[in-house]
Order: sequence, then structure tokens, then C-alpha cells
Amino acid sequence: MKRLLISLLGVLCLAYLATAQNVTIRAVDQPAASVFRSIVEQTGKNFVYSSELLKDIRVTVNAENKPLKRVLSEMFSNTTIEYKIKGNNIVLKRKKARSKVRKPQSSTHATIANKPVLQPNMLQELIVVSRLESPAVETAEIGAKKVTAEEVRKTPALFGEADVIKALHTQPGVTAGAEGMAGMYVHGGNADENLYMLDNVPLYHVNHFAGLFSAFNADIIRYIDFFKSSMPAKYDGRLSSFMDVRLQNGGVEGHHGTARLGLTSGAFNISGPIGRKTSYLVGLRRSWYDVLSVPALAVYNSKNEEKTNFHYYFMDLNAKVSHRISDKASGFVSVYFGDDLFKTQIKDEDFDGDFNGSVENEKYNYHWGNLVAQAGLNYRFKPSLSSEFTAAYTRYFSRMSHHDIYKVSDGTSVTVTEDKNYTDNNINDWIFRGDFDWQPADNSRIRFGANYVRHSFLPSRTTRLSVVDDRRTESRDSTWSYGANEFNAYIEDDWKVSDKFRLNAGVHASLFNIDGMTKHAISPRLSIGYRPIENLAIKAAYSRTAQYVHQLTQSYLSLPTDQWIPVTGKFKPQTADKIAAGAYWQTDNGAFALSVEGYYKWMHNLIDYRDEYYLKPPLEMWNARLTQGKGTAKGLDFKFEKLYGKFTGHISYSLAWADRTFADKNGGRTYPARFDNRHTINVLVNWNINSKVSLNASWTGHSGNRFTLLSQVWEGPPFDDSDRRVETEAPLRAPVNNYQLPFYHRLDLSCTVRNSRGYWTFGLYNAYNHLNVVGIKRGYKDTSYLTPNGYVFDSQPVFKKVKMLPIIPSISYTWEF
Amino acid sequence: MGVLRKIYLLLFPLIFAGCTEAFMPDIDTKPVLCLNSLITAGEPIEVSVTHTWLYTDEEGSRNNQVHDAEVSIYANGTKVGDDYLPQECDRIRIVAESPTYGSAEAEVTVPVSAPVELVNWDAEITGSWNWNKTEFYYWIGLRAKITVHDPAGIENYYNFSYKGFPKNEQTDDDMDKSQVLFNPGQFFYEAEPIFSEHISGLDEISGSSSFGFTFFTDRQFSGKQYTLNIQLNNAFFEIIDNGDLVLTDDMLDCGFILILSSVSQSYYNWSNYQWNVENGILGDLGEIGMVDPVWGYSNVSTGAGVVAAQARVSYTINLKDLLKSEISGQ
Repeated sequence: MKRLLISLLGVLCLAYLATAQNVTIRAVDQPAASVFRSIVEQTGKNFVYSSELLKDIRVTVNAENKPLKRVLSEMFSNTTIEYKIKGNNIVLKRKKARSKVRKPQSSTHATIANKPVLQPNMLQELIVVSRLESPAVETAEIGAKKVTAEEVRKTPALFGEADVIKALHTQPGVTAGAEGMAGMYVHGGNADENLYMLDNVPLYHVNHFAGLFSAFNADIIRYIDFFKSSMPAKYDGRLSSFMDVRLQNGGVEGHHGTARLGLTSGAFNISGPIGRKTSYLVGLRRSWYDVLSVPALAVYNSKNEEKTNFHYYFMDLNAKVSHRISDKASGFVSVYFGDDLFKTQIKDEDFDGDFNGSVENEKYNYHWGNLVAQAGLNYRFKPSLSSEFTAAYTRYFSRMSHHDIYKVSDGTSVTVTEDKNYTDNNINDWIFRGDFDWQPADNSRIRFGANYVRHSFLPSRTTRLSVVDDRRTESRDSTWSYGANEFNAYIEDDWKVSDKFRLNAGVHASLFNIDGMTKHAISPRLSIGYRPIENLAIKAAYSRTAQYVHQLTQSYLSLPTDQWIPVTGKFKPQTADKIAAGAYWQTDNGAFALSVEGYYKWMHNLIDYRDEYYLKPPLEMWNARLTQGKGTAKGLDFKFEKLYGKFTGHISYSLAWADRTFADKNGGRTYPARFDNRHTINVLVNWNINSKVSLNASWTGHSGNRFTLLSQVWEGPPFDDSDRRVETEAPLRAPVNNYQLPFYHRLDLSCTVRNSRGYWTFGLYNAYNHLNVVGIKRGYKDTSYLTPNGYVFDSQPVFKKVKMLPIIPSISYTWEF
Repeated sequence: MGVLRKIYLLLFPLIFAGCTEAFMPDIDTKPVLCLNSLITAGEPIEVSVTHTWLYTDEEGSRNNQVHDAEVSIYANGTKVGDDYLPQECDRIRIVAESPTYGSAEAEVTVPVSAPVELVNWDAEITGSWNWNKTEFYYWIGLRAKITVHDPAGIENYYNFSYKGFPKNEQTDDDMDKSQVLFNPGQFFYEAEPIFSEHISGLDEISGSSSFGFTFFTDRQFSGKQYTLNIQLNNAFFEIIDNGDLVLTDDMLDCGFILILSSVSQSYYNWSNYQWNVENGILGDLGEIGMVDPVWGYSNVSTGAGVVAAQARVSYTINLKDLLKSEISGQ
């Protein structure tokens, strides 16, 4: 049976040369795929071919600094394969199939071996080093997804800001959490149970603007590997999912880039070669809110004596330099810096003509973000064994300060009162890791590696200073910093046992040393794939994951008050055991795919805030506010995809349950998780009308989030020492998440229109303006009616649904050069 | 501080451009008993017994007294009568039973009043003013230091409060009558940072202040001593003289009563809860689903009501000499 797969080989991050590239390579009767790896490393070119095409193909080549074309011709001279270099891709085809190859139907389409049509820009984006290069029926993995940059850009998003995390929200089993936010809750897990990595290095804070946008600049990413069910042994440290975002490498054919101007932010990206062996990539994205707020503030200040000034922006800067050291070695250094800055100043002056009066100057300053710096070395010991060594530093920081000076003058003397608060929290990791990829045989691929992480945690440090008429009072909280050592080692084998069986087995071992105690975890991983027929695969998997650090957050927003803290003291590492099974089917030409996956997850030692945690003052050790417990999640994910053609997209449906049980929460009783959304439907459609115009639509609908509805109230105690009687009502406690909000649904649209220099993107978030319910508040309904005695005003207590985010249009232009 | 919240509204215009819709949720509710009592060492115990009601039930709001409840009070395990005067360290348990609403109970230990000393105080006339020679105002500022010696070995909670004396009960009819009045002024919360120890980082970034909250714990000085800086601004002594007032020394007998109470944890928690929902960010964000809603703190078995206890130490600061000196000097 003829089947086309798009298999793509690339190599981790590296060097490129201009078009006239020379190659040095020696191979005798080696599998073709392993030789490609060397060529990719040296040239930056990528191979595009059907996996069937290379079956049993072995090549011999001996080239010393020879032109690429000549090397390829030599390599394929005695095979049934022919090649064609198209831009940065080397497309391979079977020679005898030449007559069946149709000519491209338009200048923007190319057809490979009579099978799925790929657009040039898709090819560009699919050039990956992803381990998820093959379709689901071929691998043993469950719940894995490679998301291309193109898919991210085609997923409509709030304010038209293409967003990596929001693109994943369309996947079955992934929940967005709070309305409009870039949170992510996978298979009943919590928001901090997802490991986000940028080029193999963890990133702790992945949001901007309270979570409205993610920290990944979608303009410069290449692809995302996302795992949510069967976890490769390489990854551990989080319970629910692993997301590895890979950035583009520097260009090799001149200096190219994009400049984008949108309603909320702009971005500028450029890449190109530096000499023959080096390339660079620089990406900068910055928001405009500080500029946009100027007129609003001017209006506000013109109407108020109190003068207010505020300034907010978020920014992401990525820079990467890659260098080819030899035909076996290449290296790179890269930096990512992303931050949010919010400053405000409020000045209030009240003086009379005799200089009697007061002036208050109040300043707030919040600055938080992430820094990642890394250096990597790729070294190929032999065609079948390659390695990647990484040294990295990753830091999340948050600094918040408040400074209030109040001066009172009676014309002769001035009284000064000053109040100063400063809070910071941060986490700093030094990471050293080595990863190896060994292909001892055609049907076996062994990945192994180890890493050491030196953590430094400062969960929170607060200093308060009060100055009243030269009397200073200073206080500090009792929180201290922690140092921790983490060591991880893993090994996995992706073994194609036969044409029908494929197995991926591995184990990840970890040690976490903190406060003189060492905690450990052994995380076995196993996934098995069976293909009774060519187009169908049935899989089963088990994985155990462990998590030593977790995020404390009081809200469903992403705020600078969020703290990353280690598992210490009486708390045990969080772990999860997950079993999953699935069936995958695709059509002969690979254009349509259907899958169903089921899972059951047991989560142990989960950490959460206990009931009434907020009553513990911040000076109390943070762990006094926490409780440890367990949870379960189970469900089924269905997905139907159309992968190629003018119409692409998918429809998915998830049926899910998730619950939690904590000793000190909800009276120890089990309760549904906040995002226990029983039914979720996602529809994503991309319609490429022609080479210039494409339309994208995304509809999502799911059972409402759970909410704790406090329906009864009681009369509060009239305590007050100042002899005033205080009438107050307080809500009566109720079971946690006892109420389900109404069904949530939303349609987002976007349209991309290309011209000769770039493209316009128009978007409509919540296109049919359905305001979804995000919470329920207790309020009053005011009415008035006319009586013979005049108007009567009445105010009745009522429950109110709180609805948010109306239709939001957006527009942006991207200039390509 | 409130301005910062306005800024958030500017920053998040689209998020908050939502709306609300009144509705009646389909949810079962069953009223339960509510007990409230503030037990003060040396004073008789009073207990309020009410019942909870569905928030939208206006009748429940107006009429929540429980008339068929039987209330029992136990001191250190022994049932006592209405006339029992609780002492420090007493373990008081209150039990109420109603055929209609079931039963409720709560227990609290009367705290030991911490040794407190008024280290020093300084009151000064910060200004004076008269209107039409009939109303004379003397503005007074007070600064005081009070040292608390925290008993070791237990968690202690404190509350500072103050009031003026004599108690002025002026009616509308009295407005123009010749008389003297004293107003104890405003408490300056920022003068003592320990009153803001309960403010979380999330509250700080939303611009919440310690305004209205004078409770604190011994977490920063457990088993040691701590000196509070107390500042009262803009207190005033007012003389209304329609030509018929004869000012005597007794009329100048006014001042401040500073009270430092050792309070039970339940009292502290209740006050902290109130501050959080009224001044903190939890109340605001809870209503829009961005944090889990918080319910009223209660130490009663039904979850409704607060049984608290306190032991008080008070100091009186008399301003008679200060005022006499100021008035006679004019």
C-alpha cells in the first residue's frame, strides 16, 4: 500500500551555511537516515521524505569539503531515490514514481509522491527536530502532539495575539481555566503541573499581563512538542504535561525577518548568517499599553485634582547565535528575557496660599519576569550516536515595592510620614545536562541522559519601613531562602519490535536534596503500539511523574505574587500515576485521522491552600497555609482531524472527571476540581481560500467551571470595642465547588490576507458576543416604582451571574523582509 | 489607595467590560443555628442565637431570631448559670438546641491579659481656632508607646482600641447649646507597622491598606516584648459658648482611653476575615471567579457565628491639665 508520510529530520538547533554549501562526510553502507543527520548538522538543510521511502536504503559516501549537490548525487547514485533541493529543504522521491508526480497546481503548492499537499510555508515550519515527526499510527506514544508555528498563528486568539498556550487549548483534554487567560489545566491537573521548556530549559513564569498572554513569541517559534498522556522518559518534574517550545534557528540565506504591528503589541524579528559558519536570530516583542494609556490618563488627570501616572508593558527578547565548529560539532548560545513592569505614581497636593496643606506622593512598582541563558554543544560521536550538552541558567523574579510619602505643612514646619514596603521572591536554577541519542539498529533508538540542577528559592521576603516624624520602625518577615540539589537520569528505548509492534520503555530517576533531606522518585514509563492493519494502531501506556517544586497562587490570574516553592519539611513530592489507552486510525493518504484516547490518573501528595488559609498572616511560614492530599482524573478524548488540503482542522470531544481530597479542605471530603468540565467540544477550521487569503475559526464549548456558591448568610457578631454596633452579614460555608456555572461557548475568527510585502491579520474574539459566566456574586437589584405618595425605591438581594469578555476585534500587519 | 483600583479598571477595560444578570440558582439550602458571643473576663456572658437564611430571602434577613432555642453554658466542663462571670483561662463552651434548626456549639478559652505598660505618652495642642467668638476648637495630637510583654509558649492575639471620654451624646436639639465636647480624633494606622502584618502580597498590589484593622499577633515577638507606636491625630476639644457658659475644671476633664485586649484566636480570625472581604482583594476577585470565594469565618459547629473572648487592659490619658494650660494662656 502506498502511503505518504512526511518525515522530517533536523538537528538540534544548529548552524547553517549559505546556498553554496560544502559538506564533509564519510559513510559506508550506513542507514540513509543516519547520514542525513550529519548533512543537516552541516548545512542546516532539512530532508523531506516518506518514511517508507527509506526503508532498507543504505548509502555509501566519501566526501571531503564537497558541494552538497555533488554529495547528494553520489549518495543516491545507486539507489532508487532522487532528490531536489527546494529552498532549505531536500525533498526525496522514488525515481520510478516520477511519472506520477503532479506538477504543483499553483506557485504556492507542491505535491510529493501524489500525496498530501504541503504549502511552502508549512514545509518551512515543519522543519523540526521534533520526536513527534511521525503520525500517531506509527508511534507508540499516546496524547502527544507536535504543534507547528503555523498552527499557532492560525489559531484565533484574544487581541489577535498568536499564543502558544492558547493554541493548545484546542486540544482535547486541555482546559483553559479562567476566561481569556493563558492558563492550562491538562487532564484534571493544576496549572503548575505543566513543564514549559524553551529550547530544552525550563521556564517558570510563562505569562504576561496577569495571564492574558503567554511569554512565548509566536513569531519566532518553530514548533512545540506537547505530551499529556504517555510521557517520554526524558521529561519529569511535573505531573500533567510537558511542553518543549523550540525556537527557529538563524537564517542562512541572507538577512530576513518580520516586523509586526498589532493593537496590543509589536514585534521585530531578524535572522541571518554571520560569515560561513555562524548564524543569528533576534526576536523582540513589546506591548503598547503604556503608549495607549497616555490619552486615557490625560483625560482622567484633567478631571481630578489627584494626578495619576501609570506605566505598564511586557516584553520578550530572544537572541540566539549558532556556530558550526566542525562536521561533528556545533554550538549555540541563547538568551531569553521576558518581563512585565507596572509602575504607578499618584500625587495629591492640597495647599492654600500660605503654604498650609499637604502633599502625598505614592509610588507602586512591580517588576517580574524570566531570564534564561544557555549554551549548548551538539556533538556527533558517530552517525548513530549524537549528543547535546547544555549549561543553562534560568531565573524567575518578582519585585514589588510601595512607597508613600505624606508631608503636612503648617507654613512654618513640615511633618513627614513615610511608608515603604518591599517584597521580592525568586527562583534561580543552574542546570547542567547531557542528552544522548543512539540508534544501535534501524529498529531501535535509545535516548539517555542526566542532568544536575542547583535550585535557589526565595519564596517571599518582605521588608516594611515606617517613618513617622523621624521615628523609624522596620520589620522583616521570617521567610528564608532555600538551596536544593536535584539530580535526574533517564533512559528510554523506542523499539520497533516488528512491523506491527512498537514499544517505548524507559525510566526516569530523580533525587531532590533540601534541608538535609533527600527525596527521590523512580518514574517508569511504558507505551506499546500495535498495528493490526496499516491504518490502525492500538496503544496502551503507563507513566509515573514526580514534582518537587510547585507554584503557590491565590488566584486564577498570573500575578507577581505567585511563588515557586520547593517540597520541604513534612511535605512529600507530588506524584501521579497514569494509565492510558487509545486507538488511532487514518486514511490511506494520511489526510484524515481519527483517534480516541482514555486515561485514568491518580495524583498523590497534591498541595493546595487549606480552608481559610488567608487568615494566616503572610509572616507565617508559607507552608502553614497549605495542605496535602490527593486527586483523581479520568476521561476520554476523541479527535477527528483533517490534515491536508484547502480545509484543515479538527473536531474534538472530551468526557472528563476530576476531583480532589485534602485533609484540611472542604472538611476532608472529596470535591470536584474547579475545572472539572464534564463535556468539552473544540472545533478548529482553517480554510486556505487561495494563496493570499485564509480564514480560521475556532469554536469551543464546555460544561461550566465549578464554583463555590455561598447561598446562605448569617448575622455577624457585633464586636467592636469602640461602642459602635456593627451590623454585618457573613456567608455560610458550603461544599467546595458545589455549583456548576452555565455551559461555556465561544467562537473566534481570524482572517489572513497576504500581499507582496507581508500579511494582514484580522480577528474577532468571541465573534457572536456571547458573554460567558465567570462567577456568581451576591448583589442587589434596585427597582423604583411610582405610588400615590411618590416614587418608592427598593433594593432586593439577588444572586448575579458575572459575565465577561465581549466581542473583541483585532488587527495586525506583519511585514516580511 | 483606591486610585490604584481605578487604574486596574483602566488597565483591564475589556475584562471588566462585563455585565451581571440576576438569577436564582437551583440549590438546596437548609437553615442552621448561628451563635454569637463576645466573652469578656469579669463580665456576664451574653449569647445571641439566630438562624441562617437564603441570601435572597429578605424576610430571613429581617427576622432571624430563634425563639425556641435552649442555651447552655459550660465553664471548664461544668454547666453554669447566667450570672457566671468568666475568668481568664476559663474554657467556655456554649451549646444551643432548637427543635426547628437543630443544635450548635462552640468553645473558646478566655485569654490571659498580657502584661502591658504605657511607656510614655505625649499630647500636644496642634492648633486652635474659633468661630465668631462662640465656638472654640483646640486640636490635639497624641503619641503614645505601649509595651506588650507577650506570654511565652502560646500563640497570642491582640487588639488595640481607643475611645474618648466623656462620652458625648449630642442630639440635634443640643447643637446650639453652650457646652463642651471632646472628639478622640482619627487613628493613624501607618504609625504602627504591626497593624499591617496581615496584608498579603496580593492585597498590597491591589492597594489595600491597614485602615480599620488594629489586630495583631505575637508572631514577630513571641515570648518577648513589643512596643506599639500609637498616634491619634485631629482630636479636638470644642467649647460652644453662647455667652452663658462658665468653664470649670471639671468641664476640662476629658481625654483618651487606650485599650489593649488579649483576644481569642476566633476574635482575631473574624476581624481578619472582615478586613479581607471589605478591604482586601479576595472579596473583589472572588466575585468574578478569579479566586475561590471566601465564607465567613466561624468557630461554631454549624459554620455560622463566632464565639470569642477577650481580656482587656486600659489606660486613661487625661487632657485636663493640657487644656487648662492652653486655655488659661490665651
